[in-house]
Amino acid sequence: MKRTMTLNLTDAEMSLLEGLCEEKGVSKTALIRQALRLYKSVDERLARGDKVFVESANKAEKAELMVL
Amino acid sequence: MKALLSIVPLKNRLNGSFEEASLFQGIDADNLAHIEARWRPMFEQRKIEAKKTGESLAEINAEDAHWEWGKKAIAAVRDPFLFDIFVLECAGNTQAIMLVRKGGEKCFSRHPDHLRAPLIYVDFLSTAPWNRSRLVKEPVYKGCGRTLISTAISLSFEEEMRGRIGLHSLPGAEEFYQDQVGMTDLGTDRNYHGLRYFELSISNAARIFNP
Repeated sequence: MKRTMTLNLTDAEMSLLEGLCEEKGVSKTALIRQALRLYKSVDERLARGDKVFVESANKAEKAELMVL
Repeated sequence: MKALLSIVPLKNRLNGSFEEASLFQGIDADNLAHIEARWRPMFEQRKIEAKKTGESLAEINAEDAHWEWGKKAIAAVRDPFLFDIFVLECAGNTQAIMLVRKGGEKCFSRHPDHLRAPLIYVDFLSTAPWNRSRLVKEPVYKGCGRTLISTAISLSFEEEMRGRIGLHSLPGAEEFYQDQVGMTDLGTDRNYHGLRYFELSISNAARIFNP
């Protein structure tokens, strides 16, 4: 079952959301759904004690990713 | 626990006829019982024979024989937000099963046509041992794997991913994914058991659904 909600965003946030949807070729619903899935997936790994890292393209920098 | 998605034709290679198969989203205890009581003994018997003749698991197409579908099914059923599981039944038997990821890790494209775009990742796909041409002398149903891969592509369209799917293939199945499905071989993934990684691009997905 699907439920509808109202999301209050600032102009800047809405602009970012619309820009990402345009770039990825998906609707706002699909983009938010994918973002939630990614968030959940990362959060579960962190909860298990795993670590998530972001590495720069030249491999010079590596930072541990934390989520809320 | 499971819902009927559609009825699809499967070719019975023993008599040349087409039989109606049921494609389900979800899984139940009967499917897991079939895998344990009907699939596993055939795999084990064939593995014993292969050991005697010196054939590898890839050569007899049984590299996935050790997969524990019970554990995979529980994980998928507990987390329907990230996973989906599909089964194909025909003639009172489970003919094939597939577990897919819908988001998170592994669900981003590596294909040069659409780098980092979201995709459906096929985590595990198995067909019943009696349907495998290198495992038995007279395989029964043709098209089980293709039916489930088509299901993953359909799901990708539903999720606005435009048909993109990705997977790591066991060596014995590489030819199927590349030649029969039309997926692009993006090379060996050193970070995933050294398996080759394959993707179906938007253009090839469109070709499959609109030939």
